[in-house]
Amino acid sequence: MIATALAILAALGVGAALTWVLERLFWQPGSEPGPAHIAEIGRNLDIVNSDRWLLPAGPVVALAGVALAMVVVPFGPGLIGRDLRIGVFYVIVVIDFVVLGLALAGWGTDTPDAVEACYRIIAQLVAYVVPLGLAYVGVIMMARSLSTVAIVEAQNGLWFVVLQPIGFVLYLVTGLMQSYRAPFLEPFAVSIGGGVLGACGGWSALLWRIALAGVLFLVAAIGAVLYLGGPNGPVLPGWVWMIIKTYGLMALMLGLGRTVRPLSTASMLALSWKILIPLGLLNVLLVGGFILLGIGPSRP
Amino acid sequence: MSEAFEIVAFGISAFIAIAGALGMATTMSMFRSGIFLMSSFIGVAGLFILLTADLIGLLQIMMYIGGFLVMILFMVMVMHDPGGAMMAGMDMAFVERWFSKGLVPREPPHSGHSDMHADHGQEQRAHDRQSHAMPQSNAGDHRGHSVHHDEHADDDDQSMQDMDDSGHEGHAAHHGNDKSGMDMGGMDMSMVTPVRPAAAWLAGAIGVVLVSMLLLRPTWRVVNAMPDPDSARRIGQLLMEKYMIAFEGAGFLILIGIFGAVLLARPTIYPDDASRRARVAVDKKPEPIAAEGLVPLAVPDKQAGQHEPHQSEEHGA
Repeated sequence: MIATALAILAALGVGAALTWVLERLFWQPGSEPGPAHIAEIGRNLDIVNSDRWLLPAGPVVALAGVALAMVVVPFGPGLIGRDLRIGVFYVIVVIDFVVLGLALAGWGTDTPDAVEACYRIIAQLVAYVVPLGLAYVGVIMMARSLSTVAIVEAQNGLWFVVLQPIGFVLYLVTGLMQSYRAPFLEPFAVSIGGGVLGACGGWSALLWRIALAGVLFLVAAIGAVLYLGGPNGPVLPGWVWMIIKTYGLMALMLGLGRTVRPLSTASMLALSWKILIPLGLLNVLLVGGFILLGIGPSRP
Repeated sequence: MSEAFEIVAFGISAFIAIAGALGMATTMSMFRSGIFLMSSFIGVAGLFILLTADLIGLLQIMMYIGGFLVMILFMVMVMHDPGGAMMAGMDMAFVERWFSKGLVPREPPHSGHSDMHADHGQEQRAHDRQSHAMPQSNAGDHRGHSVHHDEHADDDDQSMQDMDDSGHEGHAAHHGNDKSGMDMGGMDMSMVTPVRPAAAWLAGAIGVVLVSMLLLRPTWRVVNAMPDPDSARRIGQLLMEKYMIAFEGAGFLILIGIFGAVLLARPTIYPDDASRRARVAVDKKPEPIAAEGLVPLAVPDKQAGQHEPHQSEEHGA
C-alpha cells in the first residue's frame, strides 16, 4: 500500500514536471504561459493580515486532491493505483479539492486581489462542473461502467472520440476550464496580480506549481482514458501509449486554448450555460440513440 | 483492509466530523464557519466510505464542496462581517473563541474614537495587562483587545457621555449578553444576542438527549451478509425504476425553483422595482477592478441597454 502511494506520488511528480516543460513550449511573448509562472518559489512573502490556518491549508488541500485523483489513472495493464468501481466519479469529486484549496488560500490571504480570485474560482467551478459531468456521462453510458479500467477495455475496438466527437470537444473546453489554462485564466489574471498565486512563496509556491501542473496532467490523462482508449495501442507498451496520448491531448488543449481570446468569468458562465450545457445534453441524447441502434462497444 | 487501519480511519473521520461541527458553531468568521461545516460533512463522508457506501460518501463530498463554496460566496456578499474581523475581539469564553484563533480583529466602521467608553475598569485592567505584555504583536485574538483598550484609555475623560450613540460596538462586543435591542450601528450583532446562552444550553440538552439515545438504544441486529460492492449500479437502478417518480419529481421541482430565481433576478420583471432599486446595485455599471486587462466577450453595452427601459418606466410612473 505504501509502495503504491509512493509510486503514485512519483508519477504525479514526473507528470507535473513534464507538463511544466510542455507548457514552456507554448510560451509566447505577451501571452500567459499558464497560471503557475506567477508562483515564484524564490519569493518570501510576509502577508500582513493573512489567516494563519486557511492560507497554508490551501496548497496542501489542493495537492492532496490531485494526488488522490491520480490513484485511479490507469497507466497500463496492472499499472494503476487501485481500480475503483466508481473511478471516474471519484476523479470528478476529488479534483474539487483543488477548487477548495484555491478558495481557502484566496480568502486566507486577505488581500483584495486574492479574495477576488477566490470569488472568480468559485464562479469558474459553477461554470464548468455541469458540462464537465455531461462530458463524462456519454462515455459512461457507452462503457456501462464507472471504472477507468472498464472504460479502457470498452474502447478496444474503437475510441470513443470517433463515436462522440461532441463529447470530446466538450471535454477539451471544460478540461481547460478545470485546469485554469489559456482562455480561462481569469482567476490568475495579471490584472489582479496573479490572485492567489501572487501571494505565495517558498514551499507554498512549489506546492501550487505541482498542484496546478498536476491538474492539467490529470485532466489530460483522464481525457486520454475517456476518449482516446487510454493505454491501448499496438507495438509499444501500454504506459508509453498512455504518455503519448496524455501529452498529445495536453498539447492539443494548450494549443487550441492559445488561439482564443481570454474570457472573463461572466462570459465563461454565459458560455457554459448557453452553449456547453445544451451541447452536452445533445451529446447524451445522441449517445443514447447510438446505444439503442447498437452502435458502440458490444454488450457483454 | 486490516482492522487497525479501519479503527484509525474511523477515528480520523469521526474527529473531523465532530471538530468541524464544534468549530462551525464557535468561530466568529462566517467563512471559517462554512469551511468547518464542510469539513464536518466530509468527515461524515469518510464514515460512509468506511461502511462501504462509497458512492454516497463521494456524492456527499461533491455536493458539500461545490454547494458550500457557492453558499459561502453568497454569505460573503450578503453578510456584514463575513470574515469575523469585527467580532474577533469579543470577550468570550476560551472554548467559544478557540476556533477564531488567528483572526485579526479590526474596528467596525463608523465608530468614532470619542464614542468609545471605558466604564468597566475591572475588565479593562485585565486587558491592559495583556496589551502591555505584547504591544502591537501579531498574537491573534489578543490584538483586538489591545487595540480596543488603548482607545479606552485615551477616552477615559469623556466616558459616560453619548450612551445612546451608535458607537457601542466595541463596548457591546465585550459585554454581549447584557446589551441588546439598541442601535448597533449597522454591525452584525447576531453573536451577542441575549439568546446566546439559552441557545447554547438548548443545544447542549439536545446533544445529551441524542447521546443518551445512542447509549440506551436497543441492540442493533448484526447481519453477516456483505453489502453489494457495486452499489452505484444498484442505486442507479433504484432511482430509475422503483423511485423514478420521486427522483424525477424532485429534479423537476428544483428546475422550477431555478426558473423562479432567474425570473426574480431579471431587472424588469422584479415585482417591486422601487424597493429593488433601493437595495440592489446590479443595474449600475460595476467599477472596473484595477485596470482590467481582459476584454469580456459579451458586449458591455448590454447592461446599459437593460438600464434604459428601466429608467423610462420610472419616468412613466
